[in-house]
Amino acid sequence: MSIQEKLNAIKDTVPHYWPIGAFIHHNPLKGFEHLNFKEALDKAQSIFGGKVYMDSDYYIALYHEGKIKSEQLEKNLLNSLKESSFEDYTNQAKTFMLEVSPLWNSLRNYEELKINVIDEALHTYLEEKSIYQNKEAWIEKLTKSMTLYEIHDALFDTTEKELIEKDIIEFIARFLDDAQTTLSMSDRELGMFNTFKLYEDINHTGDAESYVQEVLNKLKVIDIEKYFLTHILKLHGWAGFIKYRSEDENYYSQQQHPSSLMDYMAIRLHFELKYMKHEKINNFNTLQSYMQENSTYTILKLLQSKGKLTGAYNDAMEEHSDYERILAAYVTDEINLNSLQVQLAKNALPSLDMSLIEFSNFAQMLKKEEGFVWLKSLEDTYIINYVDEFTTPHSYDEKPIASAVFCLDVRSEVIRRKIESAGAYSTFGAGGFLGLPISFVEFDKPNTLSLAPAVIRPNNIVFEIPIEEHEEYNSKRGVTKTTKKVLSDLKNNPYTPYIMVEAIGWIFGIKLFGKTFFPKKTEKLFYSMKPKKPKTTYTLDKLTNSEIEKYVQKLHISIMNEVLVTQSDAIFNDAQITILWEHLVFDKKLGVKISTELLNKFKHAYHINAEDYQLQKEKLALVGFTPDEQVMYVENLLKMIGLVKDFPKFVTIVGHGSLSDNNPFESALDCGACGGSISLPNTRALCMIANKQEVRDALKAKDIVIPDNVKFMPALHTTTTDEITFYDTDGLSSEEATLFSQVQRDFKEASLHSREERVKVLPNANTPEDLFLKTMDWTEPRPEWGLAGNMGVFAGPRDSTRHITFNNRLFMHSYDWTIDNDNADILTRIFDGPLVVGEWINLEHYFSTVDNKVYGAGSKVYHNVVSKIGVYNGNYSDLKIGLPTQSVITEGEAYHEPVRLLTYMEAPLDTVAKAVENSIAKDFILNEWIRPIIIDKAAKKVYSYEYGEFIVIKELD
Amino acid sequence: MLINVILLFLFAGVPYYVYFERTKKLEKEKILFLSIFLLVCGIVIASIFTHEASVPFVIIAFLSSLFSLYKANKTTNLYKLSYYVLFFNAPALIMFKSHQSVLYALSLLLTLFGLYFIAKYYERNYGSANYQSVSGITLVTPYAGLFLTIYLTTLALYPPFPNALLFLNGILSTQTDFMWYFVVIVIFFGNFLIAMKVMAKTVFGKPNENVHYIDLSNREKKLHLGIVIVLLLLSVVGLKELLT
Repeated sequence: MSIQEKLNAIKDTVPHYWPIGAFIHHNPLKGFEHLNFKEALDKAQSIFGGKVYMDSDYYIALYHEGKIKSEQLEKNLLNSLKESSFEDYTNQAKTFMLEVSPLWNSLRNYEELKINVIDEALHTYLEEKSIYQNKEAWIEKLTKSMTLYEIHDALFDTTEKELIEKDIIEFIARFLDDAQTTLSMSDRELGMFNTFKLYEDINHTGDAESYVQEVLNKLKVIDIEKYFLTHILKLHGWAGFIKYRSEDENYYSQQQHPSSLMDYMAIRLHFELKYMKHEKINNFNTLQSYMQENSTYTILKLLQSKGKLTGAYNDAMEEHSDYERILAAYVTDEINLNSLQVQLAKNALPSLDMSLIEFSNFAQMLKKEEGFVWLKSLEDTYIINYVDEFTTPHSYDEKPIASAVFCLDVRSEVIRRKIESAGAYSTFGAGGFLGLPISFVEFDKPNTLSLAPAVIRPNNIVFEIPIEEHEEYNSKRGVTKTTKKVLSDLKNNPYTPYIMVEAIGWIFGIKLFGKTFFPKKTEKLFYSMKPKKPKTTYTLDKLTNSEIEKYVQKLHISIMNEVLVTQSDAIFNDAQITILWEHLVFDKKLGVKISTELLNKFKHAYHINAEDYQLQKEKLALVGFTPDEQVMYVENLLKMIGLVKDFPKFVTIVGHGSLSDNNPFESALDCGACGGSISLPNTRALCMIANKQEVRDALKAKDIVIPDNVKFMPALHTTTTDEITFYDTDGLSSEEATLFSQVQRDFKEASLHSREERVKVLPNANTPEDLFLKTMDWTEPRPEWGLAGNMGVFAGPRDSTRHITFNNRLFMHSYDWTIDNDNADILTRIFDGPLVVGEWINLEHYFSTVDNKVYGAGSKVYHNVVSKIGVYNGNYSDLKIGLPTQSVITEGEAYHEPVRLLTYMEAPLDTVAKAVENSIAKDFILNEWIRPIIIDKAAKKVYSYEYGEFIVIKELD
Repeated sequence: MLINVILLFLFAGVPYYVYFERTKKLEKEKILFLSIFLLVCGIVIASIFTHEASVPFVIIAFLSSLFSLYKANKTTNLYKLSYYVLFFNAPALIMFKSHQSVLYALSLLLTLFGLYFIAKYYERNYGSANYQSVSGITLVTPYAGLFLTIYLTTLALYPPFPNALLFLNGILSTQTDFMWYFVVIVIFFGNFLIAMKVMAKTVFGKPNENVHYIDLSNREKKLHLGIVIVLLLLSVVGLKELLT
C-alpha cells in the first residue's frame, strides 16, 4: 500500500467542510454512513470521543413529560435485552434506566467507599476483567489517539503541542486565505506543499508524498495509517476543509492555490519533526524503549495528562517517586470504586435476583445500550403519534384562488398553515431549488452562486441583467464599493490600523453607537444611502452559435484594446485589431505590423488564442436553457408536487432567505437546498419559464394544461421576519393586479400571525415587532431558530398534514404517488435532492446538540472569522465545524430535540422500495441514518423500516 | 542586626518549609499556617522595632525567593502554592520600609487567606487542594472561578487590587539601587507568572469530564465576598498611601 493509499483509506473519517460563506449543513459522520447507524455511532465515539446520544437525564425528563411512551421504551429495551439474554429482567432494566442510571457516575464516590464493605468476589472479578494488570495494553490504550509530541508532552511536561499546532494553523490559515488579509502569502500558486517548502526553507526535491515518507521514516512510525488518522483528528475542521477543496475541482481558490490532504500531512509531520528533533526522545523507537523501561511512571503521567488522576495522586506524584505504590493505590481505588458502583446500584434494585457479578454485566450492558434505546423510543413515540394523525381522513374541497409553493424547509410550516387559514389558498412544498439547479451570476456581482444542493452540479448558467436605466446605480455603487474596499484594506492591513483608529476611527463610531442605541433608525439611514438596484430579468434562453461567437470575439477584442491602450505605443484601428484577433485565434495571415513580444503577450499572458476561444464558447454555451430543458424543469416541478391540473389563478413560488447582522453563520439560515444561498433566483427563473406560452404549449402535450390566465408569481419569504415580498408583478394586467393585491394582503396578514406564533419560542423577543429588531441587532447571536427543532420529513399530499400543527419541525414535500411512474422517478428525485439535504441538516443538528464541543462550533461569543472560510476560537484553533451552541441550545438546555429524520412517505411500499434502490441515498436509508415510515394507503398498512426490515406498525381501516 | 535576623526568618526569607516537607513533620496546610503565623509575628515585631533592611539579608531572602519561585512553578497544590508565594515575596517585605512592608504583608496575607479557603473548597469537593485535574472551573463553577480569579489577579499585581498599589507604594518609598531593580523586577514578574499559570490551568481551559464539579456553598460565597470587600478597602488604603 502506498503512502497515498494509506491516507485515502482514512480520509473519509472527517467530513467535508464547506466555506462558511455558503454554509452547507452536513452529517459530521458522513464517512461512516456505510455502517448501520448504531454501529457507526459506537465506532465514531471510539475515534472522536465525546457523546453520541444525550445524557439519560434528558431522556428521562422527556419520559416524564410523556414524550417517550412507556410501551415504546419497554419494546426497545426488550429488544436489547434479548440480544444479551437478559429478557427476563425487563422491569428491573427499566427501573435501572429510570432511577439508577442518572446516579451511575455519582455512585463512584470516595466518601461512600469509606463506609461500605467491598464484595471480594466482585472485586476479584472486576480486577481480572480490567486492563490494569497488563501495563503494555494499558499504555497502548492510553496512547491510542496521541501523536509523538503529545506523548512527549505528557511524559516530560513539555509544551510542544501548543507550538506545533500554532505553527500549523498559522501557515494553513495564511495559505488558505480567501482575501481576508491585504497581505497575502506569496507564491501560493505553486501549491500548498511547494509554498510550504519556501516558507520553511525545506530542501526536498520530491513531492509531498515522498516528504511524508521521509519524515515518517525519521519518526519511525510503525502503523502509518493509524498515525495519519491520529494527525488528521488533531485539527479535523481544517482537515475537512482541505479535503473539501481538494475534491472540488470547481472551487476557484483551489484552482488558484492548490492544496491536498497529503500536503497538509507533510506540513503537520514537518513541524512535528522540527520540534521533536531537539528532544532526547524524538522517535517512536526511543519512545517505546523509554515507556517499556518506565511503564509505571508512563501510565501515571499519561493518566495525569488526561485528567484521570485525582488530586491525592497528583500530590503523591509531586511528593515522592515511589510510582509503583502510587499506581497500585490508584488501581485498588479504581476497582474498589467500580465495585462500589455496582454494589450501590444493585442495592437500589432489591427485587433483582442476580449475583453481583451478573449484575455488573447487566449494568454494563444497559449503560452501553441505553442511549440508543432512549433515542429509538423517543422516535417511535413520535412515529406512532404522527402516523395516527396522518391517517385521520381530512379533505379540502374549496377551489383555491392562489397556490403557494414553498421550500420544504421546516420554517415554511407555520407560514403555510397561516396562509391556508387566511383564505382560499393551497400550499405545496418542494426542494428550495425547485429541481432547477443553476449557476447564478447576480447583476453587478463578479462571482457565480451554485443554487442547488451540494451534491448536484448545475449545468446551466443564468445571468441577471438590468432592464431599466442604471447609470445612477452604477455610479453610487462604484462609490460605495471603493469606500468599502479602502476601509476594509485599511482595517485588514497589519500596519494601517495604528494610524487609522485615530484618523478615521470615529466614522465607525457612527455605526457602532447607532446600531447599539438606535438600531432601527440607523438601519433606515444606511438603507436610504444604498443604491437602489434596477429592475432585472434573467438570461433563460440559450444563445445561438453566432451570438456566442460574437460575444467571445467582443470579449477578446475588448481585452486587446485595453492592453494596447495601457501597454503599447502602437496605434491600431478596429479593423486592424480584428485582423490581429483572427490571426491569434484562427491562425489567419497576419496583415498588420506588430512586435513578436506583444503578440506573444496576447497569446500567453492574456489568453487570446484558439484554446481560450473554445473555452469561452463552451462557457457561454452553458448560459440559459434549451426549450426542452425549460419544459422539463417546469414539468418536473409540477409533477413532483402533484400540481398537474386545476390550476388556481395565481401560482406563487416562494423562495426563502434570512436576514441578520454580524453573523458569520448567516448562510446557514438561508436555503440548504440552494447551497446555503437565498433561493429567489430559482423561483424567479422558474416563474419566468412557466409563464412562457411556448413552454405551456409543450406541457399540453404532456397532459399538463396550464390555462392562459394562470400566472406564476415569484416571491421571497424572509424567514427571520416571515415577511413575503413579491417580484415581477409588473407583468400583471390591471385586473390581475387588483386580484393579486388581495392575495398580497392575505399573505401579509398570514405573515403577522406567523410572527405571533414564532415569537413565543424565541428568547429575548416579546412582540412580533421584536423579530424585525433581531435582523438588525449586531449583538444578536440567535436571529431566528433556523432549522433547530427539525424532526422529520413528510412526502405526500398536503391534505394529510394540513390539520396538524408542527411548530416548524417538519420538512414537508408535496408528492402524489399516483402521478409517479413505475420506476418511481419522482420519488427518486425527492430522495436524491431534498432527502439528502434533509438528512445532512438533521444529523448536523443532532450531533451539534449531543456534543457541541466535538461536533459543533462552540459558542459564537468566542468566534473570529478566519481567512473568510470559517470561524475559530481566539487567534488560533481548529476550524469550527458544525453549528454554534446558540443555534441548538438555550440557557444550557437543548432546544433542538435530537432524533433521526422521521421520514414519512405516503406511497405504496413497492414505489418506495424502487426509489430507495435507484437513489443515491440508498446507503443511509438502509443503514437507518433516517427512520423511514411508509404510509401505504392502497395496501392499508403503515410500515417502519427498522433492524433491516419493513415492519407493519399499523393496519388502516 | 539581631532584629534583621529575626525578621529574615519571620518574613519567610529562609525556606524553612523544605525541612517540614522533607521530614513530613508538618502537613502542607500546617506549614502554611506556621508561615502565616510567623509573618504576623514579623509584622508585629517590625511595627514595634525600627530596623533598616541590610543588603546581605535581602540577598539571602532573594535567593530563597528564587528557590520558592521554582517550587511554586512545580507545584499544583494550592496550600503549597500559598506558602511558596509568601516566601517568594519575602525580599520585598524585607526590603520595604516598616510601614510599607506591614501594609504589603497584610494585603498579601489577605489574598493568601482567600486562596487558602479556595484550597479548602478544592480539598472538600475534589479530594485534595491539587488543581492539576480540576480545569475550566470558570465555566462549570462560576462563583469559585470568579473568586479565584480575583485572588489570582490580586496576586498578579493588577490594579486596583491592593497588592499592586501597596507594592508600588513599597517600591516608591525605598531607595533605588542595583538590588532594588533586581528584586522589584523578579517579584513583579514572578507574582504575575505564578498567578497566570494557575489561572491557565484551573480557571480557564476545558472542564475535565472525569471530575464532578460542585460550586461554592452559600456560606463560602459570603466568606469570599467578605474577603473581597476587605481587599477593596485595603485598595482604598493603598491608594491613599500612594497619594500621600
